[in-house]
Amino acid sequence: MATEVAASPERPPIISVKGLAKKFGDQQIWDDLNLDVYRGEIVGIVGGSGQGKSVLLRVITGLVTPDAGTISVFGRDVRELSREEKIDMESRWGVLFQDGALFSSLTVLQNIQVPMREHLDLSQSIMDDLAYLKLAMVGLSSTAAHKFPSELSGGMRKRAGLARALSLDPEIVFLDEPTAGLDPIGAAAFDQLIRKLQQTLGLTVYMVTHDLDSIFTVCDRVAVLADKKIVRTGAPAELQARPLHPWIEEYFCGVRARAALAQ
Amino acid sequence: MLKRDQGVILPTSVAAPGYKVELRGTAFCLVATGSWTVREAMALDSGLRRLRVPIPPTPDFTGQVDISGIEQLDTAGAWLLQRTVRTWENKGLHTNFAGATESFEILLDEVRLRSDEQRSEIAKLSLLASLTQGFANAITPISRDALLIIGFLGHLMSTLMRMVAQPWRFRPTSFIHHLDHAGLRAVPIISLICLLIGAVVMQQGIVQLKSYGAEAFAVNMVAILSLREVGILLTAIMVAGRSGSAFTAEIGSMKMREEIDAMRTLGIDPMETLVAPRILALVVVLPLLAFLGAMMCLVGAGVMARIMLGMDTAAYLDALHNAVDIRHFMAGLVKAPFAALIIGLVGCLEGMKVSGSAESLGSHVTSAVVKAIFLVIILDALFAMFLSVIGV
Repeated sequence: MATEVAASPERPPIISVKGLAKKFGDQQIWDDLNLDVYRGEIVGIVGGSGQGKSVLLRVITGLVTPDAGTISVFGRDVRELSREEKIDMESRWGVLFQDGALFSSLTVLQNIQVPMREHLDLSQSIMDDLAYLKLAMVGLSSTAAHKFPSELSGGMRKRAGLARALSLDPEIVFLDEPTAGLDPIGAAAFDQLIRKLQQTLGLTVYMVTHDLDSIFTVCDRVAVLADKKIVRTGAPAELQARPLHPWIEEYFCGVRARAALAQ
Repeated sequence: MLKRDQGVILPTSVAAPGYKVELRGTAFCLVATGSWTVREAMALDSGLRRLRVPIPPTPDFTGQVDISGIEQLDTAGAWLLQRTVRTWENKGLHTNFAGATESFEILLDEVRLRSDEQRSEIAKLSLLASLTQGFANAITPISRDALLIIGFLGHLMSTLMRMVAQPWRFRPTSFIHHLDHAGLRAVPIISLICLLIGAVVMQQGIVQLKSYGAEAFAVNMVAILSLREVGILLTAIMVAGRSGSAFTAEIGSMKMREEIDAMRTLGIDPMETLVAPRILALVVVLPLLAFLGAMMCLVGAGVMARIMLGMDTAAYLDALHNAVDIRHFMAGLVKAPFAALIIGLVGCLEGMKVSGSAESLGSHVTSAVVKAIFLVIILDALFAMFLSVIGV
């Protein structure tokens, strides 16, 4: 389903980044960066350390202001929204930060209910039912519901963070290194979870990663961040077959990439 | 959320959600239309709860949920539909879905599967049980803390004894660093605070004693108070806030990042490298700071005496000379090393208690300051009783 969407470039992109530039101090992070993400696909953003993969995620979600360029999400320029429109847009995307970023003073169940409580007027019993449902959908058992984030393992925190990101059934989910710090089995399970949820909920997934296994198993398309811009986008297999860039070649045709593909 | 037409992007067409029940042949049909999303869940929920389950006149009647009119569906909507289906099924009406697209079907199946899972409830305690539980929870840590701190003191003493036997184990660099941080850098703030408090106490004393015509005796009061209590207490409280918390934060963040464990595996004793230099530095520096504090109190009082009583420096010093002798001075200063020991012990011990998370670091820093100040005041009260019994 997702690949056929990606293959038709006439469709309007759900996220469109044009001519983005950003400087931190004297260091130019990007210069004229362009990226389109289409509805229903899983896009992996890869690149070496310090290329600003996570910063790009923060720019698109409005946490960091770029120096130049436009970002439109759902066809609207993110920076030209009024306060109400911004809140409305924020409830249409969910973000999973690296370590889940759960609120430490709330239990897992309360964490999942935070967006519902803030943006909607639901009764406590509906919120409980929905939160338990979300918890089950991300593969956490209900024993985790009343635990505090500090009592959970890293993998469980990520799952709980994902449940919170999915709390309002968003259309886009941003994932910041979802498999970093997980053991291979946990990482593979998380990849499968992302794939499953993408199909069930019709999500568009924007995933910052450098996990080759994730790229080959879940990503429909990969965007490579190098030389201060997105140098190439394409299906992982295609990038591996024709790298056309030294960094991509090293990344996709190295020993680890061959091992990941062999699986 | 899933849309019937995935091509539509913006804006979210908010079609009012709706449903009605109608009879189609031998099937009771719940016809759902519009947008069944979490935004509409509240309105849908209350209506669906009140919806009566149709009673089939003969057993061959079935139920059907027709969702061909639904434009948008998300987990909340799917959950509401599945709940209705389950209610109908429980009343003996066999129910199925009609008009679902492939993606709607995947979501409905997933939600049905996931909403069956068991829940864990929080164990509820009765009021009496929770009160006694709360009391027990408040008391146990106190006795445990007391044991821990005594144990820690013993550990420190054995480390110090070993240092006496093997003096090369002493870490002069660290010791001098902490002399600087806990001592020298605290001089401005402690001077200022003691100066102000000395002046304030003097001013209050003069105002109160004036009605008896005894304002000159305010000097006696302030002098004894400064030397015996105010100088040392204020200094100890300031140091507990400044250095006690810093000790906890420094050692705690090292504990958090497993640096302490790393030291142990490298054969370095954290007691020797981290705790002993800090506490020793504090024991050296706090009496000096307390002395400074007491002197600044007297200076502040002198300034106030000049302003309010017109007493010049010579007269003030003369009055001081008559009011105090060395035992008042010693009664104050003797408490300083003990206070330093308490602040250092509590600060380092709380640091060692920090576990993995940043919240734990924060809460231990807070409790280090609270406990240190509390214990310093207890110590002061014990000394006051002891000194009055022995007649100093």
